[in-house]
Amino acid sequence: MEIAFPYIKKRSEFGRQCNFSDRSAELHVDIPSDDTLMHDFIARDPVDMGIQCVQEMSEHFANTERYETSIHGINHTEGGWPKDVNPNEVEQVTRYRKKVEKDEMYISAVLHLGSIMEHCIKQNNALDIYEEYFEDIDFEEMDEPASAKTLNVFRDPNDIKRTATSISWHPDGSCNLAVAYCNLEFQSTLPGTSMCSYIWDVENPNKPDLTIKPVSPLVCLEYNPKDTHTLLGGCYNGQIILWDTRKGSQAAEITPIEQSHRDPTYKTLWIQSKTGTECFSTSTDGQVLWWDIRKMSEPTEKMYLDKKQEFHNAQGAYCLEYEPTMPTKFMAGTEQGNIISCNRKAKTPFDKIAAIYTGHIGPVYALQRNPQFSKNFLSVGDWCARIWSEDIRESSIMWTQQYSAYLTDGCWSPTRAAVFFITKMDGTLDVWDILFKQNYPTLTLQVCDVPLFSVSAHESGKLVATGADNGTTTLLELSEGLFTVARNEKLIVTNMFDRETRREKILDARHKEIRLKERAKLEGGKDEKHLSLEKQVVSVAGVDVYSEAEKLFFSIVADEKKKRPIPMMNYEEVEKKDLQLQAERQAALLANPALEEPELFEQETAHETFPGVLKENAEEIPPDLPKEEADYKESEPEEAA
Amino acid sequence: MDDFQSGEETTFVVDEVTNIIKEAVEGAIGGSGYQHNKVNQWTSTIVEQCLNQLTKLGKPFKYIVTCVIMQKNGAGLHTASSCFWDNSTDGSCTVRWENKTMFCIVSVFGLAI
Repeated sequence: MEIAFPYIKKRSEFGRQCNFSDRSAELHVDIPSDDTLMHDFIARDPVDMGIQCVQEMSEHFANTERYETSIHGINHTEGGWPKDVNPNEVEQVTRYRKKVEKDEMYISAVLHLGSIMEHCIKQNNALDIYEEYFEDIDFEEMDEPASAKTLNVFRDPNDIKRTATSISWHPDGSCNLAVAYCNLEFQSTLPGTSMCSYIWDVENPNKPDLTIKPVSPLVCLEYNPKDTHTLLGGCYNGQIILWDTRKGSQAAEITPIEQSHRDPTYKTLWIQSKTGTECFSTSTDGQVLWWDIRKMSEPTEKMYLDKKQEFHNAQGAYCLEYEPTMPTKFMAGTEQGNIISCNRKAKTPFDKIAAIYTGHIGPVYALQRNPQFSKNFLSVGDWCARIWSEDIRESSIMWTQQYSAYLTDGCWSPTRAAVFFITKMDGTLDVWDILFKQNYPTLTLQVCDVPLFSVSAHESGKLVATGADNGTTTLLELSEGLFTVARNEKLIVTNMFDRETRREKILDARHKEIRLKERAKLEGGKDEKHLSLEKQVVSVAGVDVYSEAEKLFFSIVADEKKKRPIPMMNYEEVEKKDLQLQAERQAALLANPALEEPELFEQETAHETFPGVLKENAEEIPPDLPKEEADYKESEPEEAA
Repeated sequence: MDDFQSGEETTFVVDEVTNIIKEAVEGAIGGSGYQHNKVNQWTSTIVEQCLNQLTKLGKPFKYIVTCVIMQKNGAGLHTASSCFWDNSTDGSCTVRWENKTMFCIVSVFGLAI
């Protein structure tokens, strides 16, 4: 086949015709040499020239890890067993012994070693090299005042700063920490804000160890305690992302957005499981979702934070608490200030919520069980931190003063049962040591000028990292007294928690008793004079219900008074003497320290503001003393309401 | 061919170009003496200045500009060129300029499009 394409163009369109011809060679320049000019010049001899004859070097810096050395002595008592024999297993040891004793060489070896050993034993007997000289001398405890120093500050490397919302320490005790960065203010994120979060090496604040690149800014980030290469992050858009640090910055697994939370994922936690792949998460949408990282396409289980398991009534949660020793139980702190204790494996969906602890008037931002007393847990919300006992739902057993600044986060010290940390909006970190002082923090530290948002303690208890609003994470080293366990500490803390629990129980019982009595009275006198009164209380909504209730109450009190052998002051008198009574009581307590726990020191001041200690001896006091009456009075406004 | 392309517009006017070159050289070197480390700068300034002015003439020409600067130390210099082009329109112009210490030789070749 032949393809032809005619190309037609007019001659005039081709442009000018080329009509080239040769131009004869043309001399441009012809400068003859001129010897005379040469005399104006002289030869330069010698000539200075710099020559570099050593190897070229460049300067570099490297940040090496700092190692602290310490001297240890080892008391060697037993050893030399073969590898496969465990010296702690009696059976294995005896079996091995028998085997050796049967050996032909055994007798001759023992005979031979006998003489050598005899020499050593004689030497040992001559001088006890393991003698402890200062065994019975106690060294001073709590000598130095509590303090903390800043070790490093890790700044958000981006230009637009974001809040350091969550900090997670590397679980192996090595010094890496994963920090999640996110702007939590609604719709205030500027375009161009970085979404990355970082893993830092505590030794190097200049450059992050690893950059974590999520699809949406991370609100929380958690190392897997079983597999330290994997990290779980909760996104601002509700998704949950898994990273494998061996695979780099990009996400390894990601949950589909339609199966994820509808609000920012505020907390993700790993669950103690055989595979170490299970985790769960919560958000302000009121859902708790369980996941298995091997199959992230949908949650393995779902629960709503509502008693009736209704999604539209569910309370949004900010924090979760999970204790590996209680694998099916967990707790969530909600926006409404409630702490919900749940049981994942309950028989019916309605039993999943085991208990609700009310007390906070603002969102609960942090929740943690005491690492040594799992019955007691710490919650941080509104303007105070509370310590609860699982048994008492009505009220916390201890609480801090009302701060003037809003609290943002808190956690227990991993080593000391009595120490916890609190971060506040005014940029301060408070260290509480309830052994030492109950009414004021042991140490208040101004970390920075902007609000602090997160705190996390290293498992050694020595290091505390706290994240601020502008993305700086400050690493603090605590003084020795704040992380070394004091003698008897566990016992004292147990006693303290027990005592407070008992006090709350007594108060609670008292409340119930009063209520019961009142009801009995009401029912008893219904047909008589109280009938009309009660009717009024129930039916009339417009008139002052309070005054009616008060009248009712005082009539009951009057009746009670008649029955009782000891005369009782009437309400007006009590009111008048209220201040005087309090002063008296304090004076009495001050004068009589025997009323307190003898083993606790420096508790005198605690009584003024820390109610936990006030009624500690309520049990011992006979029920009709004036002191008890004051308790009675305290509960009265509630009755009236 | 000359019917539609003729006159001043399309011819290489040597006088015009000579003036341009001289101005450029005077502007760049002027009375300064030979300085080894300035020669590079001088040559490039001269060449660029010439070309700038030539293009401003607005003629349909391609230009080639070369510049040689030589210190006056008694050595001889001889250059020549030869062209195969349209003799009626194209042209070249060489200017030899000197002061006390150096020679500056600038050649311009103009080729009509």
